[in-house]
Amino acid sequence: MTTTTRARPPSATLSTPRTVARPRKLRALNDQLLGWLLLLPAVLLLALAVVYPVARLLHDSLFDIQLSGAAPVRFIGLQNYQDLLADIDARRAAGNTLLITLITVPLSLLAGLLMALGANLNWRRRWPIRLALLLPWALPMAFSGMIFAWFFNSDHGVVNDLLQRLQLPTVRFLLSPFWAPLCVCLATIWKTSSFVALILLAGLQTIPRELHEAAEIDGASRWNRFWHITLPLLKPSIVVALIFRTVSALQTFDIPYAMTQGGPGHATQTLAMLINTTAVDYLNVGYGSALAVLLFAVSLGISALYLRHVYQEAQ
Amino acid sequence: MSASQNKSSRNLRAWVALVLLVNGFFPAVWILFTSLKTETELTQTPITWWPHAPTLANYTQAFTQQPLLHFIGNSLEIAIGSALLTLVAATGAAYAIARLKLKGRGLILTGLIAVAMFPPVTLLVPLFETMRALHLLNTVLALMLPYAVMSLPVATLLLVSFFKDMPQELEDAALLDGCSRLGALWRVMLPLAAPAVFTAGILAFVNAWDEFLLAQALNAAPDHRTLPVGILFYQGEFTFPWPVISAALVVAIVPLALLIVLFQERVTGGLMAGGLKG
Repeated sequence: MTTTTRARPPSATLSTPRTVARPRKLRALNDQLLGWLLLLPAVLLLALAVVYPVARLLHDSLFDIQLSGAAPVRFIGLQNYQDLLADIDARRAAGNTLLITLITVPLSLLAGLLMALGANLNWRRRWPIRLALLLPWALPMAFSGMIFAWFFNSDHGVVNDLLQRLQLPTVRFLLSPFWAPLCVCLATIWKTSSFVALILLAGLQTIPRELHEAAEIDGASRWNRFWHITLPLLKPSIVVALIFRTVSALQTFDIPYAMTQGGPGHATQTLAMLINTTAVDYLNVGYGSALAVLLFAVSLGISALYLRHVYQEAQ
Repeated sequence: MSASQNKSSRNLRAWVALVLLVNGFFPAVWILFTSLKTETELTQTPITWWPHAPTLANYTQAFTQQPLLHFIGNSLEIAIGSALLTLVAATGAAYAIARLKLKGRGLILTGLIAVAMFPPVTLLVPLFETMRALHLLNTVLALMLPYAVMSLPVATLLLVSFFKDMPQELEDAALLDGCSRLGALWRVMLPLAAPAVFTAGILAFVNAWDEFLLAQALNAAPDHRTLPVGILFYQGEFTFPWPVISAALVVAIVPLALLIVLFQERVTGGLMAGGLKG
């Protein structure tokens, strides 16, 4: 990031430096104290909006909690988790979520990689391309769901219009249990690939041009340069994008909610949508919590791989 | 390079540019076109692409059918409030992590990134339950707090990388001059960090502006909906007034578009620096 350093060095540098007034040890101690003081707001926020909710989630998943009636809260142990195993809705939602994850993660990574490679060519004017990557990133997920619902509209959608012009049969996309999930996937890939592209672009820009030039002089083809220079050096960025995309794909909610409301039938209902319906709409908090714990555990497993890597780097 | 090779490579570049631009802008442009069409033009077959008789009627409709201004107000209030909250917490934390030799720094950083990857769905149920018990559903606060936390990791990482790059001499000079650490932070480091803080603020603002899951659950009452949630309510059970929905979408996209046009370099730079490089 570029920042302009406008401030002049403080006048103190001009005066003769005094000897450090306080013993070094005291300063170190003070720094520790100040450090924790400065961390306090962040720690408080985290405790309030992450630690407490997670503790409560784990706790609630062991209870029967119905907020709708006067039924008392009852400890039921692992009953919610047992119910979960036999729940057809949960199984279907898990299947849909898995399908969306398996389709959108590799494809948005691939699309993002291609977009990043395209954006990294030395364009004379950079801003139009940069804006083309930023706009999809900045749009709310829910908006991209709505916009794609309009694209795939049966009668007046632009996709069917194109099919017609190509003399192909039109499809009632969002009313078909086969097509609707694929349309949700496409909207997701469009929305997320630009973010992937921005991350990979950052990685691409750290690769020294000299490497490519040297390889070109040695007669390496464009493909060889990509395969033996770009891709290996880009690997760390790709891993970051992959993990973040996987975790967020497992949480898919906004796009199917705005696009199909989970339909037709339950063809596009994801785990996150089922959790929302169970806990917020039907106020069945205990069971909803158990579902959320399941999703949490899977996401955490994937995150852990990445966190271990980050922790080792930070040490 | 031969002339023909040069030409084919220039052709390829033109195609790459075209694909990137269409991919980035077509959906927004299509929504803009839709918003300018009348209902009759919209239902023509085959459909028209360019609006034949552009009208702004859909925009009036968008503001009268639903309290669109109210949605915008709610979104602004929550996004700005949570961004400020994020900045206060992130600046302090980033300075502590980057400049003070804290014990357990690795653990703090790891914890932050863990939060960045934290599944928001996990917060949905307990937050809903807690806010309901505290009668905080449908208040600004219900969303501000979780949003502030949501942006905390990115903002902190961005500022950590910024503070780390600052020359130590500046701070030493201030300290020698009799400034306390806090004084040095306030008078020397913070003014220099202003651009980075601003960038972090924009990222936090966009995050909050876009959030949907918690917004639809915690602030579901008509008067308290944020933009992404409110816009879903233009559709009836069986009716989809697409021109009006599109007009509302355009109104909602304009502030975002302005933000990224004005601050595109900062935003890309910020995403890349604080971006999830860890």
